[in-house]
Amino acid sequence: MKKTKTKTKTKTKTTTTTKEVANKCSVQFLLNDQKVSIEAPSNITLLDLLRNQLGVKSPKCGCDVGDCGACTVILDGESIRSCLVLAPEVHGRKVVTLEGIMKKSEGEMSELQRYFLNKNSFQCGFCAPGIIVAATDLLEKNPHPTREEIVEGLSGNLCRCTGYTPIIDAVIDYIKQKS
Amino acid sequence: MEFSFIGKPAVRLDGKEKVTAAARYVDDLDFGANLLYAAVVESPHAYATIKSIDTSKAEKAPGVVKVITGKDFPYKFGMYMQDRYIFAQEKVRFVGEQVAAVIACDAISAERAAKLVKVNYDVLKPVLKVEEALTIEGCNHSTSEPILIHPELKNYEHVPWFFPRPESNIAHIRKIRTGDMDKGWAEADHIFTDTYTVPRYAHCAIEVHAAVGLYDFSGRLTLWTASQSPHTQRHLFAEALAPLGVAHKDVRVITPFVGGGFGGKAGVSMEILAAALATTVRGNPVKVLWNRAQEFYNTYQRQGVLAQIKVGVKNDGTIIALEQNLYWDAGAYVEYGANVVNAAGLSASGPYRIPNLKIDSYCVYTNLPPGGPYRGFGYSEFLFGLESHFAEIAKKLKIDQIEFRRKNCIIEGDRLAYGGKMNPNGLQEAIERVASEIKWGEEEKTTTKAHAKNIRTGKGISLFWKAPAMPPNASSSAFIKFNEDGSINILVSAMEIGQGFLTVMAQIAAEILSIPIEKIRVETPDTDRNPYEWQTVASHITWGTGSAVLKAAEDMREQIFCLIERALGKERKDLYLKAEGVRSHSDETFHLLYKDFVISGIPMEDGTFRGGPILGRGSFMPEYTSAKSNPETGQGGKPNVHYTVGAAGIVIEVDTDTGKVTIPKVVMAVDAGRVLNPDLVKGQITGGVLQGLATALYEDMRFDDKGRLLNPSFTDYKIPTTLDIPQEIVPVMLEVPGHDGPFGARGIGEHTMIPIAPMLANAIEDALGIRIKSLPLTAEKIALHFQLHSHKLIANDNHSSL
Amino acid sequence: MAILSDYHYYAPSTLGEVLDLLSSYKSPAVLSGGSDLIVNLKSGRVEHDAIIDIKQLQKSELALLKKLECKGETLFIGSLVTFSEIINSKIVQKRAPLLVEMAKTVASVGVRNRASMVGNICSAVPCMDSAPVLLVYDALVHTKSIDDERTLAIQKFFISPRKTLLRKKDLVMGISLALPKGKLGSRFVKLMRYRGEDLAQANLAILALSANHEYRVAFGSLSGTPLRATAIEKVLRGEATLTEELLTKVKNILPTLISPITDIRASKEYRLHMAKVMLERGLLDAALRREGSGSHLGENLI
Repeated sequence: MKKTKTKTKTKTKTTTTTKEVANKCSVQFLLNDQKVSIEAPSNITLLDLLRNQLGVKSPKCGCDVGDCGACTVILDGESIRSCLVLAPEVHGRKVVTLEGIMKKSEGEMSELQRYFLNKNSFQCGFCAPGIIVAATDLLEKNPHPTREEIVEGLSGNLCRCTGYTPIIDAVIDYIKQKS
Repeated sequence: MEFSFIGKPAVRLDGKEKVTAAARYVDDLDFGANLLYAAVVESPHAYATIKSIDTSKAEKAPGVVKVITGKDFPYKFGMYMQDRYIFAQEKVRFVGEQVAAVIACDAISAERAAKLVKVNYDVLKPVLKVEEALTIEGCNHSTSEPILIHPELKNYEHVPWFFPRPESNIAHIRKIRTGDMDKGWAEADHIFTDTYTVPRYAHCAIEVHAAVGLYDFSGRLTLWTASQSPHTQRHLFAEALAPLGVAHKDVRVITPFVGGGFGGKAGVSMEILAAALATTVRGNPVKVLWNRAQEFYNTYQRQGVLAQIKVGVKNDGTIIALEQNLYWDAGAYVEYGANVVNAAGLSASGPYRIPNLKIDSYCVYTNLPPGGPYRGFGYSEFLFGLESHFAEIAKKLKIDQIEFRRKNCIIEGDRLAYGGKMNPNGLQEAIERVASEIKWGEEEKTTTKAHAKNIRTGKGISLFWKAPAMPPNASSSAFIKFNEDGSINILVSAMEIGQGFLTVMAQIAAEILSIPIEKIRVETPDTDRNPYEWQTVASHITWGTGSAVLKAAEDMREQIFCLIERALGKERKDLYLKAEGVRSHSDETFHLLYKDFVISGIPMEDGTFRGGPILGRGSFMPEYTSAKSNPETGQGGKPNVHYTVGAAGIVIEVDTDTGKVTIPKVVMAVDAGRVLNPDLVKGQITGGVLQGLATALYEDMRFDDKGRLLNPSFTDYKIPTTLDIPQEIVPVMLEVPGHDGPFGARGIGEHTMIPIAPMLANAIEDALGIRIKSLPLTAEKIALHFQLHSHKLIANDNHSSL
Repeated sequence: MAILSDYHYYAPSTLGEVLDLLSSYKSPAVLSGGSDLIVNLKSGRVEHDAIIDIKQLQKSELALLKKLECKGETLFIGSLVTFSEIINSKIVQKRAPLLVEMAKTVASVGVRNRASMVGNICSAVPCMDSAPVLLVYDALVHTKSIDDERTLAIQKFFISPRKTLLRKKDLVMGISLALPKGKLGSRFVKLMRYRGEDLAQANLAILALSANHEYRVAFGSLSGTPLRATAIEKVLRGEATLTEELLTKVKNILPTLISPITDIRASKEYRLHMAKVMLERGLLDAALRREGSGSHLGENLI
């Protein structure tokens, strides 16, 4: 069976000279320190772009409306919900996913990840990439957060399995060891 | 017993995969460029007759490959009762039910085209509450005859231990009768009756349901599903699609990691669509991916229950009789949910010694989404009423809550509701440990500084028990194979849904074979390669699959000893396994490493070899259970293998103005039989307690008067965040070993959330003097109840001063 | 949940182009943080013929929209300023901590890092958290269109749920707040179903000014549009101490000002009851804060 492309509605362009990126747009950005150049529909999200067009699977789709945090990635140095960003929005910007965090670390994973591993912080693991990215960003901004700050910083990432305690404890242990 | 691996914490086998995102879930798998996507056309009505379906516009829409309706699949399916069709046939019975599906080249085209399918309905009046579905004494508001949701009920196939009532909305009644109720009531000094209600709940695993089906031109049907039940799915797919010529051997279910289950991914729900749709587009994989809203309204939901409880007690607090009517809102299809009703009915006495019992557990059809398994399998639901009621009784009799439970709790050898004897257990110890941990009887100081005048403290306790709810012949099996380096792969078909079972299976094999856990791999199943497992439900995996793994490891040990006896002439009873090899009691110098013979065999002097790859095999079925019993009394069988028991306690602070509850401490004591991995047991306690607290405090599914779910999102179905955890959870692990199970272990996974709701309700009563009889115990409910209660008190005071 | 509608996507480099586009399309939408817009596009609640991302403007114009500065007694918050930027701004922390206290209750870090305060008031859902705070500061909303520039008083900005004074062609440039002089105490109180992220079932902003012992009080989520409780302010004006009698009096006025509804999040009765509790606790705390004591910023009050 041959795959047919969805026909997009043709619309009359306005006379403005603005760079128009209609239904298909070309997006160039830095993904985990690598240049990416891709044609993408303008009505898909960054999460779709990463997962389905670029094969980067660490961000997960848990709710698709910004409630669960499973799709957390870092956009220009800020942790954000990739399900609430349109793909063309990242044109010219920097995106870091968990894969990028690992690439940057010495060895196979970051020190923080090792703490999560040794603390058995996760159960089903589905929320793990989002939580690790959020925690990495939190520690980037505030290397010595209090317990309250950790709890507040991770409160946007839902986990149904663990009761959160082993996740919070891993971050606390990590900070203790660093200082 | 000295163990090397059992009872020790370990880094999870799947830990690395999960923290590095190497773990793949169904939606992460790549299927290539010819993957097709399906979108479902859903019923907007809770109850309606389908007059016609016009698919012509959708078929012509861009990217559309095929449009499928009920006409294409007039086949039924179901786990315990075949009351469900793959697509709605002449009727739809809940809002969101699948009526048709569009298969297209991409997800957006499929969704767009699904909106073009025109379905013409004759809308019927829906039945949205159990009170509307049948006549319940004291509950019915209308005198008209209930509307029938399944007029064909009498023709439905079901397991022999279900007793449907044709021409009614009762799909099953589980009855229990023991002792003599008349005598019980006569002997009682007091009789207390009350009604408690529990709403529906959603599992809320963070991963939504996903399934991909591929029916290739050789006739092979492969499904990749986010499932707790790969073999059960294979069986149900093969059964449902048998008319198309599909046979068990041709169906293959592959289940990669699952992003949380909690019962929601047990059995078959939306996965049947991927299986069926795949057969219509041979050669192309088809993906069905639920969105979060569908995850709420078209998978299993935890059933609501209305519980009428009547208890007879003696002056000294001895419970003498219990009558309980449980009316379960089981939804539009009860193929799985009816067994929740059954399991709850069997155990609705709770972990108490009650000589006279009358239990009626009704499985009631309603036009709400299908009910089904949810962590706790009915026990959380009935225990809310029962333990709340017992707390009220103790209070009214002025008997200490702990004392009341000490006096009445079930002990080893007591008669169970359906006959048979209670297994050895640590319930009494659990009660004492909880009482001491929460300093029962001592006044608690508030920890909250602000508005201290509005803060009241309270303590609450609840006992719990649960048996695995399984068919009597539910079974597990395991293969273990050696690799050249002496490492092993364990092949089982239980699912890693977060509980850490891969690690525990490795610990069991490690203990028998004396191999470090780092040299063991256990992977998620593929029904082609991994041996049979019933399902990952009922907290039975550690016990059941663990038993199979234990047997497989012992089988390998046996083969190893046999081989060495045969090849080297060593006496087998002189041999033992140690440090990745075989040793001899009588010859300290003998140490044959696995890596030197388990694949390559043992070399003989003449250049030949003895042995060959060592392959362990184990299967386990509890051959002592039976579901056969008298339908009118529930007596005669032995439906449950054993009960896991425990007790829990909580300390709370409530703001009387706002109704907000803060939780300084929760104690959870559970008798695991044998704790195979304390870290994982602790994980189940921490997670289960929080899930329990959330269902007790703020979660619930709300439906409007048309049967539409009002909160199918995390925006309005609130599940806890890091900010919502108790200040302290104290795990207490007890070990009274069972007669079977690996090293005496029993399951504890579901149990940790079962006592939470009544424990909390009891603590609220302790703090404020108000008894809330419906879940959830929201801040709103607490505050408004308390306002009403304190106004009443003031009014009463005024009255008495007059 | 894919976005099923089509639109033209623009990322203009000049404000002029933005204003051109806004006037030339029938139903354009400005994209800044996108947290409401993208959810609404996915649910199909809205369809737009053009989406105009204003984050790719040339530097000088971008700076204008990202401006967060205090000049004299005026705090200006550009329309691209995110809630996180408000929380982390030293100036805001010092001069208008009420904004920080409010912003910290909005969704969670991952959303606050993108969502803007201006976006919040443009969405104008009744439960928005920004509105009560802006109301007590008598904020002004500055807009630009291809034809004109306007300054709209926040008091008149909200017309009904999801409806504001903004015309299709308007671009909000920013908001300005007049910071009162002298000693000041403030309090933001938000009713949620639990401690985690939630939409407000009721919210309340209070400023306790030292001059004339004046209080400013505004509620959100308790009526179709957020409201300044001037009747309550009148009663409190000039009162040096918040006596129990005074508090009872204002609590009794409250039901005449608000019209809470019953919905999935809370009942009318609880909203009304809690509005009173919030008002009493909020006023007392704001008064204490004015004197340099009271609760810590963001401390749970209810």
